[in-house]
Amino acid sequence: MALKLDPRTKLFMIFAVSAVVMMSATTPFLWMLRIAMTMVPIGLLTLEKKYASAFRFLLLYSAALVLLFTCISEQSEGFLMALLLGYCCIIAQFMPAMITAWYVVRTTRIDEFVSAMQRMHVPDGITISLAVVMRFFPTIREEYASIRDAMKMREIMLGGGNAARMVEYRMIPLLFSCVNIGDELSAAAITRGLGGKVKRTSVEALNMGMQDYMTILFFSAALILFMVFKYLK
Amino acid sequence: MMQTVVEIRNVTHRYKGAGEDSLTGVSLTVKEGETLLLCGASGSGKTSVIRLVNGLIPHYYKGKMTGEVFVEGQEVAKTELHELAGVVGTVFQNPRSQFFSVDTDGEIVFGPENIGLDPGEIRLRKEMIVEQMGIEKLLGRSLFELSGGEKQRIACASVAALLPGIILLDEPSSNLDWEAIEKLHEIIREWKRQGKTIIISEHRLWYLKDIVDRVIYMEGGHIEREWTAEEFGRLSEAETRALQLRPTAVSEHFSAAFQDKVDSNNSVRPDVSDGIELKDFYFSYVHKPYVLWKKKFSAADGDALSLCIPELILPKGKVIGVIGKNGTGKSTFLRCICGLEKDCTGIITVDGKEYKGKRRIGVSYMVMQDVNHQLFTDSVESEVLLSMKEKDAERCHEILDSLGLLEYKDTHPMALSGGQKQRVAIASAVAAGAKLLLFDEPTSGLDHAHMKKVGELLKQLADSGSTVLVSTHDPELLEQCCDYELCIRKGRAAYFRTIA
Repeated sequence: MALKLDPRTKLFMIFAVSAVVMMSATTPFLWMLRIAMTMVPIGLLTLEKKYASAFRFLLLYSAALVLLFTCISEQSEGFLMALLLGYCCIIAQFMPAMITAWYVVRTTRIDEFVSAMQRMHVPDGITISLAVVMRFFPTIREEYASIRDAMKMREIMLGGGNAARMVEYRMIPLLFSCVNIGDELSAAAITRGLGGKVKRTSVEALNMGMQDYMTILFFSAALILFMVFKYLK
Repeated sequence: MMQTVVEIRNVTHRYKGAGEDSLTGVSLTVKEGETLLLCGASGSGKTSVIRLVNGLIPHYYKGKMTGEVFVEGQEVAKTELHELAGVVGTVFQNPRSQFFSVDTDGEIVFGPENIGLDPGEIRLRKEMIVEQMGIEKLLGRSLFELSGGEKQRIACASVAALLPGIILLDEPSSNLDWEAIEKLHEIIREWKRQGKTIIISEHRLWYLKDIVDRVIYMEGGHIEREWTAEEFGRLSEAETRALQLRPTAVSEHFSAAFQDKVDSNNSVRPDVSDGIELKDFYFSYVHKPYVLWKKKFSAADGDALSLCIPELILPKGKVIGVIGKNGTGKSTFLRCICGLEKDCTGIITVDGKEYKGKRRIGVSYMVMQDVNHQLFTDSVESEVLLSMKEKDAERCHEILDSLGLLEYKDTHPMALSGGQKQRVAIASAVAAGAKLLLFDEPTSGLDHAHMKKVGELLKQLADSGSTVLVSTHDPELLEQCCDYELCIRKGRAAYFRTIA
């Protein structure tokens, strides 16, 4: 059974988790709060039947945590340890926000998102740009896949041993095709009335339900506790 | 007396930054309920006329414009684009770039939501449109997993959901196969029955012959000729050819081939003594479960295979047309040959030498449908040199010269026209020393003159010793340049025969 959350709740989740991610956890209690907050989007992904990604995230995150607490201490030194430390810190620090964002992008439909933004009286300019960004992710993936194919065929995957070329060969065709698609996309959207002065409606009725209030309550409580224990205690 | 719904009065227009006018003195009136076909070469101004009517000119594509356009009595230049949304609907050429949503349901209701209709009303409209178009099966799907034809049908539905009186279609069949074109044909006929005014800009003419009321022929930005449907139907092949139009009819042979009605048992494989041998090409997008090593595909996998070609000999120095419906494995076949699907087993034997796995990439080269993806450098010359293992400027110039590109050798590939870009991609293929050249629908969306050029080029490549495989939905191209036709059906070679 999938738990259907309102897009506004999801945005709040992103906000709360990102805020916590930006502050470093120093005591075991803070770590606990942060881990608890990370488990929620992982659980939600499982409810959405996205088992594979939920499992991958869980594995990656717990591996980083375990390594961080067991293998690495202030005495560790050496190149390999530095690399490991960097990896673990980045994952443990920022993974929660990534998981949440992934969950939100994967489960929110664009029209839901647009009407939620409108309910919150966000200016149309911002809403539409964000909606286009969401629409663009799969397109970029498709374009990138065909560019990689083209590179494989020309045997220039490694850019002739030149790192700058490797990036250049990927980015330039990608930029060109994204600009073209973006241009055609806007033209098509405008002819269907996007950006009019009329207030846009939505078939998707947005209702905050019990699950939304619970989620918001949980994340607000966690965020407040985190800040109180970090800065006031 | 039918009312005039579209009136273009003496319009001259030039795109910002363009060197010449896109339209010169165009005047056109369209009556309510009329179905109008715009034909003519690429760059003759068909798309610009469509943009005049839907208001993208002058509102979206800026430029210099004189003259007026009226749509249902409103002057387009003085009307906001979103006000036109319920009046004029446009189906564009490229199905992949006209979606705003990522799912089919959201796409159909996108327009009505934009103009602020009541949600209840939108739901009713959606049901009505879905029923009219018979697209129940497409609901609730991600747009990214649909085929080109299905995408185009959703695009039509999302335009129709705004209930516009005027519907414009800008080369709607460019990326469609035969079956999808038939479906599109049905949709247009349904709109016509509903009394909508329809303007279609198109290169493929055969499927529209029985629906259009009037045909406008454009050349160099102005209206050159005009026919009624009867006059147009009477045009001889010689006449359409002189006007550089694609034929208005498809011969019996190719019509059967494209509708996949050829009895495969009757066809004999061509007797080839010297050729490029393909052996054991098995592939599927779905993997068998594995623990440590992927299991190799083999003939024993039977129906689970999306490509199953045990043996095939391609005659050398010939052009072979690969036909078959969309989604039956044409592209998979080409991708496997050139080694892009690395899990595909399969051996290519050329002159007694075997090429397996990754080495297939060196011996074959695919020119993709969207050539933009294939150009990486900042000049035509370096693009070709990039493909050469040993850089040889002389040979590079030779290749460029043979393809008529020498004068552009210092130009940025992205600044070239579509046809020129395609030739640059071909030049790189030749430079890479590929013996087997693969083309994935190189003529989709091209006008007659450009298609002919591509056909000549394919022949030229074959004559210089390469073997050319070209997948296509264009009977005209098969007729013009292919020596053999190979039909792929469900990933199997249904038949392979010479074209009489």
